Amino acid sequence: MVDRILGLLCLALAAAMAWAAHGYAAEISYEPVGPRAFPTLLAAVLALVGLWLAVRPGRAVAGEGAGAHAAWLPLGLTVGAMLAYALLFQWLGFVLATALMTVPVGRSFGGRPLPLLATGLGLGLGLFFLFDKVFDVILPTGLLSFVLGGR
Amino acid sequence: MNTLEHLLQGFGVALAPVNLLLGLIGSFIGTVVGMLPGLGPINGVAILMPLAFALKLPPESALILLTAVYIGCEFGGRISSILINVPGDAGAIMTAVDGYPMAVKGQAGVALSISAWSSFIGSFVAFVGIVIAAPWLAQWALAFGPAEYFALMCFAFACITGLMGDAPMKAVLAAVLGLALSTVGLDSNSGVYRFTFDSVHLSDGIQFVAVVIGLFSVSEILLMLEQHLGQVPAIRSLGRNMFNRAEMALTWWGTVRSSVLGFFVGVLPGAGATIASAMAYTMEKRLCDTEGTFGKGDIRGVAAPEAANNSSANGSFVPMLTLGVPGSGTTAVMVGALSLYNITPGPALFTQQPALVWGLIASMAVCNVLLLIMNIPMIGIFTRMLALPNWILVPGILAISAVGVYAIHATTFDLVLMVALGVVGYLLRKAGVPMAPLILGFVLGDMMEQNLRRALSITNGELSILWGSPISVGLWVGVAAMLLVPPLYRRFGPRRPAAVAAD
Repeated sequence: MVDRILGLLCLALAAAMAWAAHGYAAEISYEPVGPRAFPTLLAAVLALVGLWLAVRPGRAVAGEGAGAHAAWLPLGLTVGAMLAYALLFQWLGFVLATALMTVPVGRSFGGRPLPLLATGLGLGLGLFFLFDKVFDVILPTGLLSFVLGGR
Repeated sequence: MNTLEHLLQGFGVALAPVNLLLGLIGSFIGTVVGMLPGLGPINGVAILMPLAFALKLPPESALILLTAVYIGCEFGGRISSILINVPGDAGAIMTAVDGYPMAVKGQAGVALSISAWSSFIGSFVAFVGIVIAAPWLAQWALAFGPAEYFALMCFAFACITGLMGDAPMKAVLAAVLGLALSTVGLDSNSGVYRFTFDSVHLSDGIQFVAVVIGLFSVSEILLMLEQHLGQVPAIRSLGRNMFNRAEMALTWWGTVRSSVLGFFVGVLPGAGATIASAMAYTMEKRLCDTEGTFGKGDIRGVAAPEAANNSSANGSFVPMLTLGVPGSGTTAVMVGALSLYNITPGPALFTQQPALVWGLIASMAVCNVLLLIMNIPMIGIFTRMLALPNWILVPGILAISAVGVYAIHATTFDLVLMVALGVVGYLLRKAGVPMAPLILGFVLGDMMEQNLRRALSITNGELSILWGSPISVGLWVGVAAMLLVPPLYRRFGPRRPAAVAAD
């Protein structure tokens, strides 16, 4: 079943690629093969693979950790926390965003709230000073810019 | 200059204080990353690559750091295989088969030290192989034209899909997805924007670091959610620390055989350390297992796969350095790292940047010695780290990954892209699609298209140039063999356990 869905998704993607690539033409062309050919070729191979998977799916799910399945709650929590982390990274600043991300992500891996909060703050501050101050990899300071020195 | 002089120059680079320090740090980080189940060499290299770039390290120092991490991972994977029966990285799966039973019998210390020793021998054999083979191969590869390169890249894909095991179709799918991702952005030949959806962030193409970290680190974190409940307590008592002379003599020839085998498997583009160690274990079992002790804690079953694992990881540098076509997922990431510095690996590198190439090769030998020292007397430091709980580890990995992605362009877009690709990667991996061909496709995509277009420009669109020279015909025959032989062998050949996805 998984294979059939995967195959159909491939077919859809291939169609979208071919449709988008159709319009790619160079205004002035110096060479026989333009910008359209390679994407179209890829779309064709993708369509063939998709067709194969949809028509002749494998026997069982041979995925990594097959059989095992993470519970939906920790999975959703982790994905949500990661997305929020990405979106708030610049606005909150690295230290606060990391501290906030650590609590739900660590919770999904069996940590307790208070130690997690401490870990999060420690990670945020420790990595901030390591990278921003020692290694000169500039990180956002966000809301804490008045303490950490805004740049 | 001949090879020896070049090598001496390389040691000059590798032993410069900064590079030696980076090698030491990289070896240590690599061993830890390799040891932690779920994190393999690709993750380690992917996370450190943008940081090395952001630290403004010169290219040879950055490469030495990444190489040290890669080789360190191959040393580290065995620790968790032996102590908790969970391979730390994919290449160490076979080490658990005899390593864990040895640890249960109270010989964990012996298993750890003999596997460190055989890892060292494996890496050393591969180092000698590289020094002999690489300049020669690079010389030969200078004659390659665009058509030969196109055929060579097809050969690399054929290797990685043909050897992938159960689902070759899904490996093809992964490779095509990677190639498709690489077409996003401005087409430099014609000035046409492809698949950018009018977004400024995509006009320059998809950020390589975000792709690698998303597909490997973020998706790995989601996969780890399934496993964290079943953590096995590590074996505490290590017993005797050092192997004795009899044990060394017993394992010596198996180690050497496996090292040579591993090197050749590693040189083959696409075949990785996982396949090499599985082959070495099977070979030793056939040759030596007269009393049926393999699988029950035979020391020879620990030494052989570790030697092959390490020599193949080192050997996979050969196609990357000489042809510019990476031999494994991890070396594909390294090619991406070089592209951050606007360096394209390939045969010309040997003449244009000898300090870089030979510095890298020499640093393999240096790191190998450092790793042997770290992994025998100082093994206790690492075994204690196995107790680090995931709820500290995972947020740490995520934060460092985000720093790496952010360090390149400093945009929120790249961070969101990283998470989105992580979720896509997780779903693909759950559906059985391997990630290594995808990353190979993403790295090779631009080069493949350029070479195809260049070749066809020469003949004004005539396809026959693609099989116009003996080299390219040979490569196409290789492609056909790689695609046809493994499925036929699986159907008609003897039954053996299928190898799990390559590193």
